[in-house]
Amino acid sequence: MTVASQVKQCVASLKNVEASLNSFAIDTKDEQASEIFRESCQITRQVITDLEKRVGELEFQEPQYKGF
Amino acid sequence: MQGWLEVVLRSVVAIIILLFLSRTFIRKSMAQVTYFEFVSGIVIGAILAIGSIHLQVPIAYPIMGLIVWSVIPYALGWLSIKSETIRSFVQGKGVPVIKDGKILEDNLKKERYSSDELLKQLRAKNAFQVADVEFAVLETSGDLSVLMKKEAQPVTPKDMKLKVAPIKEPETVIMDGKIMDEPLATAGKNRRWLEMELEKIGAAIENVYLGQVDSYGQLTVDLFDDKLKVPSPQEKPLLYATIKKCQADLELFALSTNNPQAKQMYTQKAAKMKEVMNKVEHLLQ
Repeated sequence: MTVASQVKQCVASLKNVEASLNSFAIDTKDEQASEIFRESCQITRQVITDLEKRVGELEFQEPQYKGF
Repeated sequence: MQGWLEVVLRSVVAIIILLFLSRTFIRKSMAQVTYFEFVSGIVIGAILAIGSIHLQVPIAYPIMGLIVWSVIPYALGWLSIKSETIRSFVQGKGVPVIKDGKILEDNLKKERYSSDELLKQLRAKNAFQVADVEFAVLETSGDLSVLMKKEAQPVTPKDMKLKVAPIKEPETVIMDGKIMDEPLATAGKNRRWLEMELEKIGAAIENVYLGQVDSYGQLTVDLFDDKLKVPSPQEKPLLYATIKKCQADLELFALSTNNPQAKQMYTQKAAKMKEVMNKVEHLLQ
């Protein structure tokens, strides 16, 4: 597996995490817990944005592996 | 009027009065009732009983007695809410019988409480060793309230400085195989969601005896057929595992890349995910 595809996989997993955190933030009745989920969700989103940038760089370097 | 007819009539009236009185009196379990309230209850019962079958007694007598015996205790109850002095006079006060780990024999004697009775009551509160008790009060209802010494108390998450996930009351959304729409709405869910969750578990709605939604929106069920195994909700542990895996992956990328800029970025993101991990750990486990 190339580096790019590994990073992409990680991004996909992180997106899964973000979605789950988001749904927990909505479903959780306790406000404090819900707030923690929301914050975590935001942090995860930032990480995803930066990683996607890195995926772009990697694709630029290894254009033969472009796309999933 | 014939005698038996009058008995029926009086009894019916007495039952109605009893129902009315027991509804207006405060919600207290028998154990919380003070001796005074207990005895006035008995007197009211006796008056009603005599009034309903004792035909020689004119009807006005039991009614008068009833009024006095219900109005005065009721008024005293009302006054004791308003005034502390009246409260301590009517209801009495709890008497400490163990203080600072020492038995107060004088107070025991005053309350005519024997050592056997004290031990019995302590045992009922799971205090088999008197040395484990820091403080105990003999309440007006005759119950003993016991404060155990800290080292003899069960460990709580607070003692362990553990963070635990807060919980709210669960909603019971399925009862006897029927969907309860109102609790479902309170939980912020609908029938479609419930059907989907049941499909995930692989259970038919008719087979569910009880289904509850916890405060994290997860469904747990108990089936009529106890031979079937129901998977416990996996979403939370799964999410935590995924976060952990992503964090580990990021650290791995940071180690394996040669690009210093990327290395720094990966390390930073790994730290971010570590932060998320720490934040949600107590909620997801």
